[in-house]
Order: sequence, then C-alpha cells, then structure tokens
Amino acid sequence: MRSLTLHLKLLIAILVVLGISVTAYQIFVLGIPVTEDATDDLWNIDAKVEFVASAKDPVKIQMFVPPLSRDFVSLNESFISNNYGVAVNRVDGNRKVTWSARRAKGNQTLYYRLVLTKRYSGEKAKIKGPTFRDSMTIEGPEKIAAEALLAPIRQHSADVETFVGEAIKRVNNPNDDNVKLLLAGDPSAAHKAKIVELLLSIAHVPIEKVHTIRLVADQPQMPELWLRSFNGTDWLYFNPETGEQGLPTDRLLWWSGDENLITVDGGKKANVTFSLNNSEMNAIRLAKLTDENTDANFLEYSLYGLPLQTQQTFMIMVMIPIGVLVILILRNLIGIQTLGTFTPVLIALAFRETQLGFGIMLFTIITALGLSLRSYLEHLKLQMLPRLSVVLTFVVVLIAAISLFSHKLGLERGLSVALFPMVILTMTIERLSITWEERGGGHAMKVAIGTLFAASLAHLIMTVPELVYFVFTFPAILLILVGFMLAMGRYRGYRLTELVRFKAFLKKADA
Amino acid sequence: MFGLWKTWKALEARGIMGINRRNADYVLKYNKRSLYPIVDDKIITKERAIAAGIHVPELYGVISTEKEIDNLEEIIGARSDFVIKPAQGAGGDGILVIADRFEGRYRTVSGRIISHEEIEHQVSSILTGLYSLGGHRDRALIEYRVIPDQIFKSISYEGVPDIRIIVLMGYPVMAMLRLPTRQSNGKANLHQGAIGVGVDLATGLTLRGTWLNNIINKHPDTTNAVDGVQLPYWDGFMKLAAGCHELCGLGYIGVDMVLDQEKGPLILELNARPGLNIQIANDCGLTLRTHAVEARLEDLKARGVTETVEERVAFVQEMFGHIPAVEG
Repeated sequence: MRSLTLHLKLLIAILVVLGISVTAYQIFVLGIPVTEDATDDLWNIDAKVEFVASAKDPVKIQMFVPPLSRDFVSLNESFISNNYGVAVNRVDGNRKVTWSARRAKGNQTLYYRLVLTKRYSGEKAKIKGPTFRDSMTIEGPEKIAAEALLAPIRQHSADVETFVGEAIKRVNNPNDDNVKLLLAGDPSAAHKAKIVELLLSIAHVPIEKVHTIRLVADQPQMPELWLRSFNGTDWLYFNPETGEQGLPTDRLLWWSGDENLITVDGGKKANVTFSLNNSEMNAIRLAKLTDENTDANFLEYSLYGLPLQTQQTFMIMVMIPIGVLVILILRNLIGIQTLGTFTPVLIALAFRETQLGFGIMLFTIITALGLSLRSYLEHLKLQMLPRLSVVLTFVVVLIAAISLFSHKLGLERGLSVALFPMVILTMTIERLSITWEERGGGHAMKVAIGTLFAASLAHLIMTVPELVYFVFTFPAILLILVGFMLAMGRYRGYRLTELVRFKAFLKKADA
Repeated sequence: MFGLWKTWKALEARGIMGINRRNADYVLKYNKRSLYPIVDDKIITKERAIAAGIHVPELYGVISTEKEIDNLEEIIGARSDFVIKPAQGAGGDGILVIADRFEGRYRTVSGRIISHEEIEHQVSSILTGLYSLGGHRDRALIEYRVIPDQIFKSISYEGVPDIRIIVLMGYPVMAMLRLPTRQSNGKANLHQGAIGVGVDLATGLTLRGTWLNNIINKHPDTTNAVDGVQLPYWDGFMKLAAGCHELCGLGYIGVDMVLDQEKGPLILELNARPGLNIQIANDCGLTLRTHAVEARLEDLKARGVTETVEERVAFVQEMFGHIPAVEG
C-alpha cells in the first residue's frame, strides 16, 4: 500500500513537472503569447482603378503600390485584372505596377488588393537618404521674398528638424506678404509643399514628398501628402499643413516623389478609389501566416500545425478534460449528484450548439415532456428497447416542432439544435426515468438539477475563450490536469454535502 | 467557511467515514474487482452460501431468457407467496413480493392486486436489465418469501426488516436493523425512507435510529420506541456475518440478513459498497472501528496467526460492544 502511494506520488510529480516544463518552454523559450489578447490588426486595402479606354490604342496603366519596406509586412498581394499583363518594378524606393493590354474598350476596372499587418519586431534595415541638394534657381521678387522668409527661419531653428518645421509653419501663415507672393494665389497643399521645397533647397536641405494612406476602416480617402527629410540616420516626416513632425502610426506610405499616383496611356478619366477594412487575427495564426517570410517555425509541431477544420474540432476536444475535471470536483469534492460522470460533459458540449440559456430551457422542456411520455409508456408495459425507440422518435418530433415554431416566430435559436444534442437528450430522459423509478421523483429531481448545474458550469468553463486558447496552445497543461485527477483518485476527505449529511452527529455533541 | 471547517474537524475527530474514504481505503483496497459478481449476482451468492452450508431463502427457480418466462407458472406451482427479484438488482429495486392469491390474481405484500401478465412484464423488465447495475441483461430469481419474526411486529411497517452488518476482513464492525416504513413502500433501504437502528454488537440490543439522515427514537408509522429491543439469535447473526468473508473473498462487505419466523437467521444478500448511514444509526464513526480491526490484523499477521469465526466475533464484541444506553 505504501509503495503504491509512493508510486502514485512519483507519477503525479513527473506528470506535473513535465506539464509545467513543457508549458514553460513554450512560453519562455519559444515565446508563444500566453493570452489570445495579443491579436493584431489585419488590414485589407483595395485600390480600385477605373478608366475609360480608348478603342484604338494599346492601354498601359502605371500605378504606385506601397513599397512595404519597414513598418508593415504584406501577407497577401494581388492584382486583379482580366486581360491585362501585370508587371511590378521598383523605381527609386517606390514600387510601381504596370498593367498593359493590346486592346481594350469602354469602362475598365482593375483592382489592386493588399493584405498587410504591422511588423512588430525584426531589425530595421539601414536606410539611406540624401542630405544635401543644390538650390533651385529663382529670380527677381521671388528670390527676395524667399530670402526674407528664410532669415527668421534660420534664427528660430537649431537643426534640420526644427528648420523644416519652422519653414512649413511660415509658409502656412496666410497673412505673410512674402508667402502670398510666393504662393501666387494658389494656396493648395501641393503648391505649398512646392514652396517649402523651394525654400529648403536654398538652404540646401533636401525634402521629399510622400503620399500616404490612412489605415482607417470604411472611410473614403485619397492619398495624403506628407513631407520628409533625411537627417543622416532617419527620415523625418512633416505635416505640410502644420509643420508638426512625426508620421502617425496609422499611415501607410504609398509612394514618394512628385509623380501622380496613376498614369494612363491610351485611356482617360482615370480614377483610383481606396477602400480599407480591418479584421483582427490571433497572434498565433498571424505568426503562422508570416511564417513564410521569417525563419520561425516553432508552430510546426503544435496543434496549430493541423488543418483549420481539425483545429476547430480539437479546440472543443481539448476542453473535454477540463469539463471532466469540473464534474470530478463537483462530485468528489462538493458531492453534487449527477447522472453518470460523462452525461453532464456531453450536455455541456451540446450547450455549445444551443447556447446556455436556450439550452437549459430546451433541455428542461424536452426532458419534462419526454419523461411524461415515458411514464405514460410505462403503463403500456413495453420492453426497454421498443420503449427507448419511441422516446427517441418523440424527442426528434419535439425538436422538429420546436425548431419549426421558433423559426415561424423568427427565433433563429431554435434551429441550432443539431444531431448531437438529440441523442444526449434521449439518453438523459431514459436514465432520468430509470432513476425516477428506482429512487423516486425527489431524487430524480435532485439528480436532474445537479446534472443541469454541473453541465452549465462545465459549459461556462469550457467556453472561456482565454482558457480554450491556453489549453489549445499549451496542451501540456493536460498533463498537470491528469496529475490532479490522479491525486483526486486517492482523496479520502469528506465531500461538502457530507458535512451536511452527518450534521446529526454534531447536534448531539452540542446538546 | 470557518463553520464548515469546524464541522469537518468534528466529524474527523469522531471517525465518521465519508464516501471518498470508504471508496479509497476500503472498497478499492479490500474488494477485488473480479470477485464482485459473487455479491452482485444474488444467484451466485445463493449458490455459494448453500455450498458453504449457510442458510438462505429457498430458491424456487431462475428465469434467464424471455422464452423461459413461460415456465413462470410451473415454477410458482401451487405456492401462494413468493418473491421475484432481479439477480443483479441494486438497492432493493425491482423486487416483487407476492403475499397471497386472490381470484386468479396475486396480492402483493402492500395489498395491490396484480395479474399474471403484470408479473410476466415485471420479469421481462428484469431480464432487459432495467434494475441491474449498469443496465446489463439480467436474470430473475423466484424464491421463498421470508416471513419476519413476530419480534419486529411492533417496530416495523409492512415489508421485511433486515439486519445489516458491515464486515471488514471477517470482523463485524457495525450492525444495524433496517425497518421498512410507509414511505419506503415496505423496502428496507435507507435511501428509500426506511429506518436504520443501531445494534450493540455484543448484546444484540437496539440503539437509537436514523431516518432520512436524522436521529430518531420512535418508528414514524407505529410510534413504538425502536431502541432497547433485544434481537434474538444475535450471536448467530454475528457468526453468519463473519463467515461471509470466507464465502465471497471480499474484505469489506455489508451482509444483509433476515430473521424468518420458521427458518431463523437467513442471509439475503451481500453488498460490496455498503452505505454510510449505519454510522448515524449507531451514533459512531466507522473509521475508528475499522482502524482498530486493521491494527488487529497487522498484529495477527506479525504473529502469523489467523483467527476463527468465533474468535473474531469475540474480539469485536469485546472491542466495540456493550455500549452504555443513552438517556433521552
């Protein structure tokens, strides 16, 4: 007996240590996130290109697409175009797609779709940029106005960063006569940017126009203009309207330079519309998607390596031990009586499909009706198998009726009853009615309520998303669970209900 | 929470055995799974007992297939009273006790008149496993109806009172008299509402009783006091119970016996998972007594001695018997 206890303790210790160390390895060495909260925004960007092709000429459309050099990683990129040839090439840090067709007619629509997400780690590549440029040549009053503007800018600035900021602020002051002269009645953002460039070129500070798309869902937008300057190590971004420095994190750089977004040969009325939407994705799955771009293949031997469909099944399956654990605790520690050990777990699984509140209602109604039918069949003195068949058929008819009614009433819930809960319902009815016969109605009620309670609790715990994620990602947890179950196997203390059951002893002791 | 902990400690101090302890320390430890069929199947128990010369109610016949139900009439013969039981029934379920015949029909012990067809349906239900542990196919046995000794008349309501003795490795550790009530429908099972009355192991005098987990002194139906009743043939019961260990080989059993007014003490059935309410009936925890017996076994093993039935009974009567009567 003693050696058995030692054996058991050893086994429990091994299981728990194994479980903890595998989990710790996954968390600390492989760096798998502990909670599912670590989700990432996934952006789906569609650029729709519309134009009217002229009938005679070959068509060639060139459009900038994001270079995706630094802060973002592309998960999928597609060019949707029927009869067009597609070519992508890089020019001066920009990427450009060229669609071309020998013959096209009428309205044409092309799509560019990009799925991307923020890159969250990884080394930043060295970047290069110009730090000097020649002055642009200007003459006459413009030259005087520019120099008049530059003098206070020089005074108010300390380095390239403040110099550019100050210059933009000055240019955006509409009351300044020098600015008015330089703008020459064209206060558009593009023109202002040009003036800024002019001013800075005199001071030999290079500046570049960049066009960005804002990562915000379901809002029509056009590329937004920003200015940037290279300070020797990094690009500094400036808002051309306010002079504020720093690119907000939700801006995606689409292209840089003076060129237009799109150029069309052999067509007219070219128009590009952007539409964005985002979705959230589990960090794990994202890691797997970006896996192809990186070297990390730590997910290869986890449950995430399974096909998606199988994964979903396993997500339910790995939670069954948790449900069993709940029943074990309820029965052996608390002392709640349930119908068998696994019926509550099965009912809990059925609740997945029916939802809890509706599931409890459905179970109560169908079980009550089924029991009354069974008690009626009892009078007919039928044998077990035929009786069971009748009850099963009755349950099917009942479920069909409930589904029909709830559908007619517009409650889609009723349709959620699937094959699986039906079998469990029949089983429950049969077992409950046997309990009823053997132990009486009171006891059957007690067992039924105990079962429903245990099933509800098991269901609630089995569907905690954090727990599902945790157990699914770290299945070694189940070893720890087994250790606990083994320990429970030799638990010999009282059950909570026994403290009540044996109360009679204490009453006497007090008296 | 603190109150619960106090209750826990108090129960532990009194040696009250809980289900988990019973299962882990006694049922699993002393009862070999392979021997369960001997106690779970009443037909096998009966055969074993007859072979060992232990008195049991006479077996009239066994029905094991639907076809054999036709033999029912033949088995019953001209007898006017008999009992139909599932061989593997649990908790006294599925038992049909026929007390008399009435105009071609049968009268159950509770006075209900039933037809032959209803009896046949009952047998059929038994065969399909409705009352068996785990719902397996079962056999039905038809046996002698025990007529309880007159001594129980005043403290029993219908049915057959029986005596349950818990036996650990051949040592009876606790005894109780189970009295059917109106609520239990004449059945002697505590969870169905029967009364359990503790019995002094040495003298056979009844102590106070338990009914639905409460302590009582009077029978709820007859209002006669249940304590202070001298059970006849007490030493006979004790020896019968102690001998059941050799009969079945299981170390921790509940032995159910009856006192027939003509045939004396008879063994009804054995139970491999005896209930715990016997503790309330005896106002005493089982663990203290089982520990004492286990200590005795260790001691004997060290000395290389085995005790006979008589020695074992004498030991427990000395050890646990002669409980002073309580006032109130």
